[in-house]
Amino acid sequence: MKKLYIVAIVVVGVAIAVIMMSLKNTTTYSDFTESAANSEREFHIVGKLDKTQARVYEPQINPDEFSFFLIDNKGTTKQVVLHKSKPQDFDKSEQIVLIGKMQSDVFHANDILLKCPSKYNDPIPKIE
Amino acid sequence: MTSSIEYVGEHIWAGKLGYGFVVLSFVAALLSFVCFCFSTKRSEYLSFARIIFKLHALAVVGIAVTLFFMLLNHFFEYQYIWQHSNKSMDMKFILSCFWEGQEGSFLLWTFWNVVLGLILNRVLKNTEWEAPTMAVFALVQIFLASMILGIYIGDYKIGTNPFLLLREHEQYRNMPFIQNPNYLLKLDGRGLNPLLMNYWMTIHPPTLFLGFASTLVPFAFAIAAFWNKKFNEWQKLALPWAYFSVCVLGIGILMGGAWAYEALSFGGFWAWDPVENSSLVPWLVIVAAAHTMIINKNKGGSLFTTHFLSIAAFLLVLYSTFLTRSGILGNSSVHAFTDLGMTGQLVMYVLTFVFISVALLIHDELIKYSYIIGSLLIWFFSLFYGHQKLALEIWCVISAGMTFWAYIKYFPKEKDEEALYSREFWMFVGSLILLLIAMVITYFTSLPVINKLFDLKYAQLKVQEYNDFILPFAVVLVILIACGQFLKYKKNNASAFFKSLMISFGLALVFGLTASIPLYLNESKLETYNKIGYTSILITSLFAVFANLDYMLRVLKGHIRKSGSSIAHIGFALIMIGVLISTSKKITISKNTTKQNLSELSKEFDNQKSMLLTQGDTVPMGPYMVTYTGREKVGIDYYFKVDYLTPDKNGKLEYQFTLKPKIQDNPIMGTAAEPGTKHFLDKDIYTVAYADVKTQIDSASLGKFKPPTNFVGHVKDTIFAGNAIIVIDSLRTNVNETEYKKSDSLLEVTVILKAYDSKEHVYTARPKYIIKNNTQIPGEYIIEELGLKFVFWKINPEEGTIEITMSERVGNSKDFIVMEAHLFPFINVLWLGCIIMALGTAIAILERIHQIRRRHA
Repeated sequence: MKKLYIVAIVVVGVAIAVIMMSLKNTTTYSDFTESAANSEREFHIVGKLDKTQARVYEPQINPDEFSFFLIDNKGTTKQVVLHKSKPQDFDKSEQIVLIGKMQSDVFHANDILLKCPSKYNDPIPKIE
Repeated sequence: MTSSIEYVGEHIWAGKLGYGFVVLSFVAALLSFVCFCFSTKRSEYLSFARIIFKLHALAVVGIAVTLFFMLLNHFFEYQYIWQHSNKSMDMKFILSCFWEGQEGSFLLWTFWNVVLGLILNRVLKNTEWEAPTMAVFALVQIFLASMILGIYIGDYKIGTNPFLLLREHEQYRNMPFIQNPNYLLKLDGRGLNPLLMNYWMTIHPPTLFLGFASTLVPFAFAIAAFWNKKFNEWQKLALPWAYFSVCVLGIGILMGGAWAYEALSFGGFWAWDPVENSSLVPWLVIVAAAHTMIINKNKGGSLFTTHFLSIAAFLLVLYSTFLTRSGILGNSSVHAFTDLGMTGQLVMYVLTFVFISVALLIHDELIKYSYIIGSLLIWFFSLFYGHQKLALEIWCVISAGMTFWAYIKYFPKEKDEEALYSREFWMFVGSLILLLIAMVITYFTSLPVINKLFDLKYAQLKVQEYNDFILPFAVVLVILIACGQFLKYKKNNASAFFKSLMISFGLALVFGLTASIPLYLNESKLETYNKIGYTSILITSLFAVFANLDYMLRVLKGHIRKSGSSIAHIGFALIMIGVLISTSKKITISKNTTKQNLSELSKEFDNQKSMLLTQGDTVPMGPYMVTYTGREKVGIDYYFKVDYLTPDKNGKLEYQFTLKPKIQDNPIMGTAAEPGTKHFLDKDIYTVAYADVKTQIDSASLGKFKPPTNFVGHVKDTIFAGNAIIVIDSLRTNVNETEYKKSDSLLEVTVILKAYDSKEHVYTARPKYIIKNNTQIPGEYIIEELGLKFVFWKINPEEGTIEITMSERVGNSKDFIVMEAHLFPFINVLWLGCIIMALGTAIAILERIHQIRRRHA
């Protein structure tokens, strides 16, 4: 069994190495302030859409650019430029998770996750 | 309360009947567990235990039939029926409604367990294995049955009752409709989630749940082995069941991938989503378990690993249940299910079985009871004094320690070392690697749990990151698959072994390198390590395919029935190749053509993958010219028709096909996009559309012009329209200035207007202005393509200006869609691999069953 012990140790060692390596690179959930202070790193920002400000999507100019304003969980509002097309049901979103970096006071996101209420909450039963 | 109101049309008997079955199922499971436990010591209880288990089975069927009956007859007074179905629904989706909700899917799982349990009972009848394995089954059934009980013990809610009346549900108890005795007459259900209205929802969950349920059998055997203190005999009995698990769970997982590819808009079939991962992980572990069982059967040994892996596979299924149903994945998964408040129960479910497994591992009575009592004490302590996270962490460490210690102390060590060139050594290494991959995936998938336990804020890994770290392991695995078949048990002649593999490896090298050339030639966005990685997995997967094919043909002489594992391995390698080609060479053909300068941002924002298609325009996209011809509304679905054309040898455009990506505008569920895909033998064209379905295009006023705007300008001035820039280019006239002053002459002046649209096409308008015998006749010119009308109606020769009006056509902001299109080359290799792997495992199962029957005959 001795060879097997060596193999087992190597295998476990590799697992730990992989996990350690990725821990260095894993992004964390954060807010605009921390992202602005570390503008080279990527963060996940959770927040809500600021419905009082403009949402700009001009596909004739660039179909992969959509701009809006987000209020993060600490209450800071910043402009966000999402480098993707405008997601379906964006205006109905309850919560937004953005992945990206802050650059010169604008958060540039290259991915987005939306949480929409209508799919999961129970609405009132409709009785005509 | 409302007990005085007589509600019209409710079928109270149905709910009471269903709930009666629920209670019966729970009680019978409890009773049969107790009886099977007793019957391990005294066999008189055995026949009674079997009967009670059959009663439990009957009760489960009763629950299912009642629920179905209620669904078919639209009993919307019941919350589950109301939530998951409606009157206008197509009845072919009725099964999907059954298991759309958590209660239904728990019921599905319970049902499969009952089926498997009855079969197992039959197979093991009157053997020493019957009672302990059935006891384990019964214990699991107690937990599953409790998930749909819906009773309260003090403050704790146990389960969610699927037969609750809508008006008794805590969310609706205080709503005004309760006061209306006729509320049921006009009540319609909420209906199925539109994303689930397809045939996948009918076949994927039952297959997947059968796969999950089947991991219980090897687990039950492993536990029974502890009970019987016979550690070396159960493996060959459990092996066909383990194969069954590999087959069915594998098919279930692959179905999920196919569904995602066909109906979801993220452009792939595997998103490394936590819910996907938590079903993949048990599968990897059960595959490893099956391989260690084969080693045990052929050569003996591997006792700890067969136990560990069989137990781990089932525990990981329970963990997966916890992850997906507890709501802890809320922010990080597209599969997020509603939190029914069952987190506590789910955690108890997982931990109880971990506890039982570890307790049984320990042989020493004193230490075993210390562990049992210690665990119970920790549990009570956390219940009454809080500090639950800390208690959990401490208990996990203790349990892990006990497991490790049990391994060192109680499992017999092999006396003779395994030879390096032996099948069992490398199969074992392969199983360890599978376990390693499973552990790492579990770690990353559990980041939300880790965040919660240790107050951290790690975010999920991206798809590319998962792909990158799995790849080297996959390469090693696939090499082992290639070599494994040609290795014999116990010992091999090294040179003979290498010789047998030469042809396969040679072929693989040739094909693999040839196919990889495009990666290195074209200007590719891939990093170097990616290119090397992709090349390696291509060559090694081809190696696995050829080696197993070779083995099947040369050694097994094409004997299909014995070739189950070779065929399954070929299938697996083809899946690797299919995955590789379609992810690495997935080409986004809808390249964004805007000249947006993104150089100030880093390369990672170079995200140009969508394209704007205006109705009527033909634009190049990849190998095609595409035209968006318009939208078609069918019910609540919008289909966006896009024609694909290719130029023939004369350059003329020839129609090829039409794709209709769809967006459903569901009034309750919101909008959901579904791709339109064209399948070829050698590739797939996959398209998803984004469009504004809210803005109605009023066809009545289409075509009419809006009121005109007046412009006074010189030659070379610019006028702005919504879709073009117009320049007053020049004036043409047939008279000179002096002649104009004579009042009776005919004067014709044409103004040349040049209109430039956003794509820099130029259109020319030539409105003409005529003066004849002192009558002014303004002239009109319409540029059809731009929907612009110009009227030239005045000249001011003294100032040198002219006056024209411009009107824009209504609907000039033409209907457009934003589309993303990807080309997946050779993706059919992936589906072919899936089918072959399923076939191979099925053949292997049949062969093992046949072998067992022959031995007993």
